[in-house]
Amino acid sequence: MNERHTTMPSDAAQLPALLTFLQDFWSEFKLPPAEALTFELALEEVFMNVVMHGSHADRAPRVNVSITLEDDGVTLTVEDDGPPFDPLSLPAPDLTASLETRRVGGLGVFLVRQVMDSVRYERRDTTNRLKMTKNMAGVGPRHAA
Amino acid sequence: MSDSMFEIRQGDAGEVTMAGRLDATHCDAALKFLSEIANLRVIDLARLEYIASAGLRVILLTQKRCKAAGGGVRLINVAPAIHDIFHYAGFDQILDVTRAAG
Repeated sequence: MNERHTTMPSDAAQLPALLTFLQDFWSEFKLPPAEALTFELALEEVFMNVVMHGSHADRAPRVNVSITLEDDGVTLTVEDDGPPFDPLSLPAPDLTASLETRRVGGLGVFLVRQVMDSVRYERRDTTNRLKMTKNMAGVGPRHAA
Repeated sequence: MSDSMFEIRQGDAGEVTMAGRLDATHCDAALKFLSEIANLRVIDLARLEYIASAGLRVILLTQKRCKAAGGGVRLINVAPAIHDIFHYAGFDQILDVTRAAG
């Protein structure tokens, strides 16, 4: 079984627990340390987005995080039961703006798209699902001794 | 430094150092610390291990404040992984960012 998951309320105080969840997965499957940062970043950005957008709802959404080791890649899936929200619909930040006019914020999802090889959103029934994959040659069940 | 630790301090020569993780749980404390320094010139990031968009916001707000006051911040000893994030965010266009040696 190459998949682990965890569930928590959308509360910024859960970030350290999410980090531990990822780090445990990384050591269990002996994945390349350099790629751990990629997933820590993606998970923080996506989770904090749910925290912010979920705060408009009458209750804090629940967040389901699962991570799967595949052949030559790792997939991270974040689901929440908050109001429909597609983070991929956000406009890209203007990276050419001068310091004075540069907007503060709007970088999170943009960074996720930079560090991941694929990012997909779908709304299924009452759930937002964001699925992110990073290609990592040489990892996964097929390569296990 | 382990887990989700973050540390920010100012040395005798006025330089600021950050260590650990500048994530969403530490950005408010970092911004408050930086906002109380009048003549900020250099932030040494040699021991910074992780930065997310919440941390980039701290850096951007700080640079805007220092520029408006006639100065500007230099980021020095930036590790490759952190430099990549600055680059993706276009921060190397609006800040003086120097990589860690070798």
